Amino acid sequence: MDEDMDNMVKEFTDVLEELTFNSKPIITTLTKMAEENISCAQPFVEALENRISKCVPTQKLCAFYALDSICKNAGSPYTIYFSKNLFALYKKTYLLVDNTTRSKLISLFKTWMMPTESTGAPLFESAALTRIENFLIKASALHQKNYQSKLPTPTIPLLLADIDRLTKLTEMRLQKSPTDSKLNVKLQVLGQLKQELQKGKLGLPALKQVQLQLKEIFSQDQQLIQQQMDFKARNQQRQQMGPGQGQGSAMMRPDGRDSDSQASHSTTPISLFDTTNGPNVSSLFGSSSGVLDTKSIREAERSNKKAKLESLYKSLGESGLLFTPSQESIVTLYDKVRPKGSNSHDDTPNIVLPPVRLLEDILFDCKAYFANVNINISAIPSLSFSQYNVTADNLVVQNNLIHLLYRAKSNKCSTCGKRFGNSNDEKRLFSEHLDWHFRINKRIKGSSQVITSNGAAAGATATQKNIQSRNWFLRDEEWANFKDSIITSTRFNSDPDENRNNKRRDNRRRNRNDDLREPGNNYNGSTSVNMSPGDSPALNEVTLRNLKVVVPESTENMSFQCPICKDSLDAVYDEDTGEWIWRNAVEINGKHFHALCYYESVKNNSNEEERNLGLQNLQRLIK
Amino acid sequence: MSFLPGLVETTAVTDLYVDTNEVHREKIPQGTIWKIKVPADSKMTINIVSGIAEIFGTELANNVEYSFSNWNFSIYAVEEVHLEWKGSDPHPIVEDEDLISNRTAKYIYNLHFSLDKMRSTSFEGPNILVIGNKGSGKTALCRTLSSYSIKFKAYSPMFVNLNPQEAVFSPPGCLSATPISDILDVELPIWGQSMTSGATALHTKQPILKLFGLEMIAENPQRYLQTMDSLASVINSRLEKDSLVQRSGCIIDTPPLGQLSDDLHELVHIIQKFRINFVVMLADVDNEEDTATLEKVTPLAKSLVGDFFVKIPRLCGVIPSDDVYMRSLQRSSIREYFYGNPGTALSPFSLSLDFEDLVIWEPKNVLSNGETAVENNEILNLSQVSISPSSVQHALICITHQDKHAKQEDVANAAILGFALITEVNEKRRKMRVLLPVPGNFPNNACILTSYRYLE
Repeated sequence: MDEDMDNMVKEFTDVLEELTFNSKPIITTLTKMAEENISCAQPFVEALENRISKCVPTQKLCAFYALDSICKNAGSPYTIYFSKNLFALYKKTYLLVDNTTRSKLISLFKTWMMPTESTGAPLFESAALTRIENFLIKASALHQKNYQSKLPTPTIPLLLADIDRLTKLTEMRLQKSPTDSKLNVKLQVLGQLKQELQKGKLGLPALKQVQLQLKEIFSQDQQLIQQQMDFKARNQQRQQMGPGQGQGSAMMRPDGRDSDSQASHSTTPISLFDTTNGPNVSSLFGSSSGVLDTKSIREAERSNKKAKLESLYKSLGESGLLFTPSQESIVTLYDKVRPKGSNSHDDTPNIVLPPVRLLEDILFDCKAYFANVNINISAIPSLSFSQYNVTADNLVVQNNLIHLLYRAKSNKCSTCGKRFGNSNDEKRLFSEHLDWHFRINKRIKGSSQVITSNGAAAGATATQKNIQSRNWFLRDEEWANFKDSIITSTRFNSDPDENRNNKRRDNRRRNRNDDLREPGNNYNGSTSVNMSPGDSPALNEVTLRNLKVVVPESTENMSFQCPICKDSLDAVYDEDTGEWIWRNAVEINGKHFHALCYYESVKNNSNEEERNLGLQNLQRLIK
Repeated sequence: MSFLPGLVETTAVTDLYVDTNEVHREKIPQGTIWKIKVPADSKMTINIVSGIAEIFGTELANNVEYSFSNWNFSIYAVEEVHLEWKGSDPHPIVEDEDLISNRTAKYIYNLHFSLDKMRSTSFEGPNILVIGNKGSGKTALCRTLSSYSIKFKAYSPMFVNLNPQEAVFSPPGCLSATPISDILDVELPIWGQSMTSGATALHTKQPILKLFGLEMIAENPQRYLQTMDSLASVINSRLEKDSLVQRSGCIIDTPPLGQLSDDLHELVHIIQKFRINFVVMLADVDNEEDTATLEKVTPLAKSLVGDFFVKIPRLCGVIPSDDVYMRSLQRSSIREYFYGNPGTALSPFSLSLDFEDLVIWEPKNVLSNGETAVENNEILNLSQVSISPSSVQHALICITHQDKHAKQEDVANAAILGFALITEVNEKRRKMRVLLPVPGNFPNNACILTSYRYLE
């Protein structure tokens, strides 16, 4: 296995060595090998990375093409592995190669940013791509500065010569298409420019500005040439804004240079504008005048692009190719709501939208609510029971009423799927229902702690596993008098389980069964205190449970152990009084007890005096 | 082993490699039903990832793992559902037609809302009877209607099961009535739990049971009618006292029409005794059996409820069931009664009894007692069972609320206290082991033998 792998890696490296020129077959071979030997992905990646960093600069691009091909065809895990060192590799290479290669690297990088068809995400990890992007932005800014300083000092004769050349070119073009009035305008502009230059009154800084601006406009024109070739229709659009900016002649230059990136063509066109411009140039080049540093030049470029895009958009709109969102569409609304002054495309990644499912849910809930908000079921004639009504397509049922069963009640219990509505009553029921699930689940898990702190089974021993059995069924008359609300109530005070226990106890008594369940009996006895007739009516289970003791400041761990049942009781925060309290607790002569435990033990005290004393204590506390 | 003849063919190799933990994903488009068969020996868990899914009208919670065993059912996607399922059976789905459009959903919705309208306009709710041939979806319709009834308003319809072979909230062999006061348990073919002594994940239900005891209605039609009468009378007294249930009305499930006598006098009896005002028949017009039955039923029903007799097509989610499946459902309902289910484990109680401790009665079976023609006036009488391994071994017996020494006519219609299972009979020592649902001594009550046997 390992040997196979080693062989494979060696073969891969050998093929890689042959990649000294841009050879499609070699790259294809490498890609195939990578695709077929995913298990060797890591060594392959290492080999390729080595190759890129070690080979001579002229061959680096080919190696990058191989990387690109492997990642695009084989995909993961290569993309993941390459993402790790991608930035360092790319940066190193970029800094070593010449401008032409750089532009090719940039166009390669652009393809990486496109979402791939299979995953819908960019090819590599976004972190790596973002770093490269930032690097490229910095590099090109730097490039621009260098380039500015390298420009020849503009002199009037040089500029004049270039204008002459441009004029000639434009004239030639005019002969080919004499109807084009735009070209005439361009000629006029160039003539004006020439006159201004001949006056020779411009200072050097002004000339420099003009030179740069012309260069920028020219480079934009280069891009337009490409577009023009693809979309003849666009040509006209572009020319409409052309004359004002004096760009028309440049784009006519029949140059064969590849213009796929700004970096490459930005060096050449300057030769056209080697001479200086006049002071009133700013009136000719209105939109870009007064722009001084590279930063503002780029801004100008951006606004120019934007203008072109807008005109393209307009023309598409006019020809009916665009869908215009209506006034109340979500897109329009979003545009209005969106914070002003922010750049939309810079912000979008930062807005984290909830999952589509959730949004859909909310939308459906709203729809359901409005679908039946004014529906009165008893007033719909098509709901009366008849053969026709039951078997026909009833639109009221299908469009409105059906929601009553589902989304009209938008609070769906995540445990059992039962639905609750949004009115206050329903919300209360919902929260009681959730509490009930919580209590029941705790009990099913057999956890005694929570129950104790809730006071539901105070005084119970810790051995409360949820051991249960089927109940006997009821007699006819018992069943006829039975109310299901006893089972289904989720309210705390009428805990279904207690009632159930009571019922079972009744059942048992009725059947005169001998009780074989002494251990369990303890527990039952404590959940429902049977009051003897002599008790004060105030001394019932509920009032006892409601007794509470404010936690003394001297306590260390917020809990105490009931001396009777040996269970410890944790403090809870009481919202009403704003204090930490022990529920279901009493303080008798400085000692703390569970209220129910104390009551039970007092009640069962054989000494009558002590019993009365204890009961009096409790009575006092309740008052 | 392959050299042994006959062994080669039976070795099912494929099953050995089924990964029970493999998560399968399924998308159910809106308005379709996904039919599922989970055989008795396998298990399936379903987790609804998104969307609204329901099983017989009960909506499933999302992102909760539901587990199913020994049940054929279908999931209906009210809105597009994405779910994940795992299972020991690689094909829990009914092949070829597992995803079909729910053409009959609209009838159920129409029915439900017309019932809801009646509930909102009258204090006396609708009593609706569902009839149809075998496998037409009667119980599914009743279950769905019951589930819908409690969804929007807190109604509590009374579900009445008149099919003794069907086990709903109880072991088989009974006729029962249960107020549906809360959500049903989607995992259980028996709809939900009857009451237990402890905590259950869902609210339990409190049914009233009346024992028929035999399997087929034809084995003692008179006893069937008598059992039904006593059920009807206790239901009526409940309805008088429970205004909520009265307002919500009754939803009544029936045995397949084929099991009733030819003149359908049982049907007339049901309609009168349970004060039925609406009858729904599930029947397809292109089904010969259904058209024949329709011809018989229509004039009868029209004469009793008039225009409130409605025919709708058979439900399209129905999965045809056979006797083996019926038996396995009955078995699991008996197990459920004593042992609960994985969610709620119950602890039954086993004890030893002398033969003399038990008094067991038995309803007469007209079909098997061929040698002595049963006198008409004696057909309702119970006969005492002499305890022997052959007569009571593994039998499910019903403990009544009547005293051990009560007269047989009192025992015959007594309320049911519960059931017990005779697990072992030792004739020599005249002892037997009995499984009781509730810990304690064996109640000092009379018992009735049922036709159902359960071997653990």
